[in-house]
Amino acid sequence: MKSITIPSLVIDKLQLKQQDKILLSLNEEIIGGQVLTIMGPSGSGKSTLLNWLVGMLPNEFEATGKLYLNGVDVSSTPSHQRHIGLLYQDPLLFPHLTVEGNIAFAMPKGNKQDRLDEISDALKRVGLKGMERRCPQSLSGGQQARVALLRVLLSKPKAILLDEPFSKLDSQLRQETRQLVFEEIQRHSLPGVMVTHDESDAIAAQGKVITLDKLI
Amino acid sequence: MIVANTLFTRTVRTSPTIMMGLLVLPVLGGLLGVLLPAFGWFPALGSTDFGLFGFAELFATPGIERMLLLSYGTSLISTLLAFFITVLILASYFNSPWLKRIQRLLGPILVIPHAAAAIAIGFLIAPSGFLSRLFSPWLTGWDTPPDWLFPHDPYGLSIILGLALKELPFLLLIALGVLAQPEIGKVLKQQHKVASSLGYCPMTGFFKVILPSLYGYMRLPILAVLAYSSASVEIPLILGPNTPPTLAVAIMQWFNDVDLSLRIKASSGAVIQILVTLSLLLTWWGIELLVKKCSASWLTNGEREHGGMIIKRFTDVITFIMISTIAFALLGMVLWSFAGFWSYPNIFPDQFMTMHWQSAFTQMQTPLFNTLIIAFSSTLLAIILTLLALESEQQSNKTISAVSGLIIYLPLLIPSIAFLFGLVWMFEQVNSQHTYLNVIFTHLLFVLPYVFLSLANSYRRLDPRFSSVAASLGAPPSKIFWQLKLPLLISPILIASALGLAISFSQYLPTLLAGAGRINTITTEAVTLANGASRRASAVYALMQMLLPALFFILAWLTPKILSRARA
Repeated sequence: MKSITIPSLVIDKLQLKQQDKILLSLNEEIIGGQVLTIMGPSGSGKSTLLNWLVGMLPNEFEATGKLYLNGVDVSSTPSHQRHIGLLYQDPLLFPHLTVEGNIAFAMPKGNKQDRLDEISDALKRVGLKGMERRCPQSLSGGQQARVALLRVLLSKPKAILLDEPFSKLDSQLRQETRQLVFEEIQRHSLPGVMVTHDESDAIAAQGKVITLDKLI
Repeated sequence: MIVANTLFTRTVRTSPTIMMGLLVLPVLGGLLGVLLPAFGWFPALGSTDFGLFGFAELFATPGIERMLLLSYGTSLISTLLAFFITVLILASYFNSPWLKRIQRLLGPILVIPHAAAAIAIGFLIAPSGFLSRLFSPWLTGWDTPPDWLFPHDPYGLSIILGLALKELPFLLLIALGVLAQPEIGKVLKQQHKVASSLGYCPMTGFFKVILPSLYGYMRLPILAVLAYSSASVEIPLILGPNTPPTLAVAIMQWFNDVDLSLRIKASSGAVIQILVTLSLLLTWWGIELLVKKCSASWLTNGEREHGGMIIKRFTDVITFIMISTIAFALLGMVLWSFAGFWSYPNIFPDQFMTMHWQSAFTQMQTPLFNTLIIAFSSTLLAIILTLLALESEQQSNKTISAVSGLIIYLPLLIPSIAFLFGLVWMFEQVNSQHTYLNVIFTHLLFVLPYVFLSLANSYRRLDPRFSSVAASLGAPPSKIFWQLKLPLLISPILIASALGLAISFSQYLPTLLAGAGRINTITTEAVTLANGASRRASAVYALMQMLLPALFFILAWLTPKILSRARA
C-alpha cells in the first residue's frame, strides 16, 4: 500500500456476491472532501455496498477485497471501531434523548462543559441556536436532518456515507441541506460515498458518479 | 456482520445456549423423573424392577373412568364453548365499535389468576352466592339457600364455567390481535367489504370469508388453551367435585400424600395425563377436519343470508350474560371481603367492616413478601435472559431456529403436572435444600416463555438503522444495548415485566411442589382458604391476587408516560 498523507477511503478490488453471483465489483479511491456517488435501480446492490463499508454485511452476502481508511486496512474491523459515519434518508434521531443528548451520544468522551460548548457552537452554525434541550420529535424535518448531520460530524468520523440523505426533504429544504452537507464534508476534508436515485444530488456532489446495473 | 469480541458480545453469544439449557434440562429431566417411577423404578421404595404395576394400580382406583372423563370432558367442552362464543362475538360485532368496548371490558380479566377467578365464580354460584340472592325471594321464593350442588357439582359444570370464562377473553384478544396486524387485518377487512359488495350479509360474510383465514392464526393458541385446561389444577380444585376429582387434581393429591407408595401410581397417572392431553389435541384436530369437510360446499353455495339478525340477537344476550356474570362474580367477591353479618337472601351485607382486610394484612406479610421476592427474582432473570437472547439474534443476524422456538414454549406445551414432580425429584437428587431458589427457578420456567413472547416482537421490530447509526458514531455493542435499545424499548420491557410478575404471582402448583409446601404465597394461601371455612378471608386473598398484577400493569403503563413527560 502506498503511503498516504491526505485522508482517503480506498475500496480495493471489492467483489460482492450473493449465492455465488457477483453483485458488483468496485475499485475506487476517494480523497478527503470528495464524494463518490453511486446510482442505480433498486436491487443493484447500492445498500449492500454501504453495509459492507460500515461492516454490517448481512450473512447471505459474501465479500472479497479490502477497505483502507487513511491507509489502514479496516476490512475486518467491527463497525463501531471504523469511524465511518452514516447518514440515512430518515434522521433517526434517538427519541429518548434531547437534541443535545443525541449529539453528546456521538461525541468522544471529554470535559462535560467543553462538549456542551462544542454542541452549542455547532447548533448555532447550522441555525439551530438554543435548541439544545428540545425533543427531536418537536423539530421540523429540516431541523432534524441538520441535527443528524451534526451528530455524525461531531463523532469525528474519518469518512462519511450518505444513504439517499435528501430524498425525504422538499425541494427548497433539499437544496439548503445538501449544500450544508457538502460544505461540511469539504470543511472536515472527509471522503464520502453517497447512494442516491436523484441526478441533481449527483451533480451537486461534484464528484465521480458510478451507475450500477440491476442484477438479473 | 463483523462483531467485536468483547465480554459483552461473548455473554450475548452464549445466552441462547444458557436459556435453552435452563428450559430443556428441567423439563426433560422432570419428565424422566416421572417416567421412571411410572414404569416401576423408584429406589426410595426399594422398587428397581421395571413393570406396569403402577398403571395396573391406577386403573384399579375407584372412579378412574370418571376422573378421565371429567378431565377430557370439561377441557373439551369449555374450550369449544369459549371458541364458539368468541366467534359469535367477532361475527356479530365485526367492524362495529362494540368490539373495542368488549375488548376493553374483557382485557383486564386476562391478568386475573386462575385461582382468583375460580374463587370469584365459586362465590357467584354457591347456594348462598350472589346469583341465588339476586333472584330470591322475588323470583324463586327461596328464603334459605337452595339445595344445589354448585360449585363442586359431579358433572364438572362449574369447572366448565370457570375454564370457559377464563379462556374466552384470551381467545378473543388473540383474534383481535391478529385483526390489528396491518398486513393481515387490513386484507381481511377488505375481503369482508368485497363479500358485502357481492351481496353477503355481514354475518355470513364473516363466517364464509374471514373465519377460514382467521382460524389459521388462532389454532395454536386454541390448542395451548386445550392443553392447559386439560391438566390445570387450580380451577378443578376450587370448583370441581371431590369424589372423584379430575385426573390432574387426583395426581396432585397422590403425589402429596404422606404414603410414598402412591408416588408410583401418581407417576403413572401423570403419563396418562399426557395421553389425555394428546387425545384432546387429536380430538380437536378431528373436529377441525370434520367441519372443514362439511362446510366445503356451504362456503360456495351462494347463500348470502343465514339468519344474521337471530344470531346477532343471540350473541347480544350471550355477551350480556357473560359480562354480567363476570361483573357480579367480582362484585360479590368485593362485598364478601367487606361483609359482616350477611343474611340470606339479602343482596347486600347487613353490615360492612374492614376487619377482614385488617386481619388479613397482619397475616399476609410473609406470603406477600414471598410472592414479591419470588416474582421479582424470576421476572428479572427472565427479562435478562430474553433481552440477551434477542440481542444475540441481532448480532448473529438470524432469528432463533424453529426447534429453539419450540423449546422456549416447552414448559407451556407439556402439562406441568407431568414434569413438576420429576423436577422436585431432581432437586432432591442434587440435594438442593434451598427451597426459595428452587421455587424461583421453577417459576422462571413458566415466566420465561411469556416474557419472551411479549418482548420478541418489539425487539425484532426495532429499526435496525438506529443501531447502524449508533455504531457508525463509534458506539460499541454494549453502549448500543444499554443506552439506545433499552431506553427505546422501555415500554415493552415494562409490559413484559408486568406480565412476568403476573405469571409468577398466579403460580400455584410450582410454588407448592418446589417449595415443598413450606413457602406460602398469596396464591397458595388463596387456594387453601378457598376450600376452608372463611369466605371473607378467602375473598380478601383472591382480591389481593387480582390487585397485585393490576397494580404492576398500571405502573408499567404509566412509567414511560411519566418519563417522557419529564423529558419534555
